[in-house]
Amino acid sequence: MDVVNTSPEKYALLKLVLSGLVPLMLLAGLVMYIIINGTGLRDYVPAPLEEISFERIIFSDTGIDAEVFNSGPEPLTIAHVQIGWFNRTSYQFTIKPSSTIPRLGKATVHIPYPWIEGEPYEIVLITGTGMVFTHDVEIATMTPKVTWSLMGNFAMLGIYVGVIPVYLGLLWIYFLRRVDRKWNEFFMALTIGLLVFLGGDAIAEAIELSTQVADVLNGTGIIIIGISMTMLILTAIDQTVSKHRARKNEESKENEASLDSKSVLTLAYIIAFSIGIHNLGEGLAIGGAYAVGEVSLGAFLVLGFMIHNITEGVAIVAPLSRSKTSLWHLLVLGFVAGAPTIIGTWIGGFTFSRVWSLLMLSIGAGAILQVVLLIYRQMRRASIRRNVDSIVTYRNVIGFMSGLAVMYATGLFVTA
Amino acid sequence: MFNSLLHIKPNKLLITTLLIITILGGGYLLGQYEDENKTQANDSNSSRLGSARFQYNRPAMYLKPLEDVYDPTPPPARTSPGKPRLVEYTLVIEEDSIHEVAPGVKIPAWTFNGTVPGPIIRATEGDTLRVTLVNNGVFSHTIHFHGIHPADMDGVFELLPGGREFVYEFIADPYGVFPYHCHSNPVSQHLLNGLYGMMIIDPRTPRPEAQEIAFIMSAFDTDRDGSADFYSWNGKAFQYAHNPVSLTLGKPVRMYVLNMFEEMMAPHIHANMFGLIPSGTALEPREITDVVDLAITERAIFEFTYKYPGTYMFQCHFSEHMEQGLMGWFNVQPPLLLN
Repeated sequence: MDVVNTSPEKYALLKLVLSGLVPLMLLAGLVMYIIINGTGLRDYVPAPLEEISFERIIFSDTGIDAEVFNSGPEPLTIAHVQIGWFNRTSYQFTIKPSSTIPRLGKATVHIPYPWIEGEPYEIVLITGTGMVFTHDVEIATMTPKVTWSLMGNFAMLGIYVGVIPVYLGLLWIYFLRRVDRKWNEFFMALTIGLLVFLGGDAIAEAIELSTQVADVLNGTGIIIIGISMTMLILTAIDQTVSKHRARKNEESKENEASLDSKSVLTLAYIIAFSIGIHNLGEGLAIGGAYAVGEVSLGAFLVLGFMIHNITEGVAIVAPLSRSKTSLWHLLVLGFVAGAPTIIGTWIGGFTFSRVWSLLMLSIGAGAILQVVLLIYRQMRRASIRRNVDSIVTYRNVIGFMSGLAVMYATGLFVTA
Repeated sequence: MFNSLLHIKPNKLLITTLLIITILGGGYLLGQYEDENKTQANDSNSSRLGSARFQYNRPAMYLKPLEDVYDPTPPPARTSPGKPRLVEYTLVIEEDSIHEVAPGVKIPAWTFNGTVPGPIIRATEGDTLRVTLVNNGVFSHTIHFHGIHPADMDGVFELLPGGREFVYEFIADPYGVFPYHCHSNPVSQHLLNGLYGMMIIDPRTPRPEAQEIAFIMSAFDTDRDGSADFYSWNGKAFQYAHNPVSLTLGKPVRMYVLNMFEEMMAPHIHANMFGLIPSGTALEPREITDVVDLAITERAIFEFTYKYPGTYMFQCHFSEHMEQGLMGWFNVQPPLLLN
């Protein structure tokens, strides 16, 4: 190796690395200086900046357990516990691992309180500085333990609200195949309407949930990351599949019709996948709500979800109406879209976590929004092929509005 | 590309049938689970109990102890009548005290001589009371005594600035139980921060000999949300549950009680009746009862004797007050056991 020739390059590399590291090294020095000498700013807080987030409340036959999280900037000590019912009552308690919780640390407060099924309670934690943190439980109910029977119950719930409606919706493919070709686009537009409604709903739910997540965990950040990452990943999958198809097309010289049929099948799978993630989030929410006793699974709620979710099947098969699709594909599509509900209810019912629910909701929202873009592109391509300027036709707009209307109307049946 | 993954093209009718059987069959089977669960749920609902087997009648006993306890024994009364004396007290106001209001819960407080409530001031009717107020704080303060005294000793208009001293001097008049407290504006802030205490003026004819105990009923809003978080006998929630007040079986007890909070209080002693002297302004009890209403700054003397040994609760009968700390125990023991 020629030393004279390569050394300038080595210097260049060194300079590159150094120039990248200099700001970091300076920052490290400054951090060290501040840790040792302080900022010189007036560091006096008149009131303690303590913050406790309640993660989960467990009702058992030994009392109440509150899983809490120190989301404030300083360590804090839980010194006193009260349980509110008619009014607040001071109660004995034990804390694991320690009553002093470090920043971002967790602890479980056990209160051997003789709670009564179906009553509302307020859990009050008072810190060593007299700050008071409360959490309301609307209906106390025994926290379910993982049993086969309950797993079965949740699976049943998932099948009712996720699997059955999706499969029923898929059966509309036979109807879609029989309607006139010019109505094809109408149903695509209707699908966009359905999905925009679902996506908007998911974002609204995510924002609502994000207010219940501890500030320090940045719920808004989770939503942004969840939505944008999902959209990018789905774009990547779509592009990879398209390239692969284009290459295969050059080799096999397949005709246009067959190519189109495969492209819509891919679209259908992406829709099914997106709806699947959405349903996973929905399952998480239902399972979680059921587990913490915030919702009773009356027949009306289950029926409401069934009516609401049958629209999801339509959304999956709308692009497939003009292509031959085997029943196997329909089965798999329905499974991909519906089955995650079951998994969602299991996860939500047994380990309810707001952060994961929020991430799932965001991923679902991102997936659905991406699908809207894909369907839009599909329709656009089709219209260009037919030399039509715009896809914003009366028929399509009416289709889109009908999609929104159907979602709104069926949503009225979901009464929690 | 998905077609290439799945080559099989089975009979549509067969698959549709299988699909329907799976959905309906699965639904039926899982429905069995649900029915089973419902039966269990109904069983537990019929008792309406969550965890009722965990009952404790002395919740405070399970809380951690306090660092300090406010001594409920007042300074002794003069035992024999005599010439009026000069009785001197010095009260020092601090604004940076830390008050342990409940086990482990320490809040900032303004104090007379470092405690909430402040020390008990005691004199005999006709004595000259000379109370020196030292204001070690930043804000202006006063002492406003209840009772009869000249206008310039009333502690309302003459605000004492931080770092200064002032001497209140007046004749103790009449006999009874009185509150004293800071009357600087905003009064609510000065009161709720802890600037209050009890003054006992004894009659010239001494009351019969008895074991004396004194209690101020008050409350604390630690997070300043407008509702109290702790209620207490003498400033600390549950303190006489951890440190019961010892009484002697068969020996008369005189209990001075004063309400210093903005809510009605209903002091109540268990398993006994007391002779009630409202405001302490009589020598003989007005009635025999076991509970009495005291509005803010109302006070009374309870006279009673325990007939049976044992541990008895004394509490505020408002359950919220009791359950947030306004409760404690009397430990009544035969005289021999105490010696």
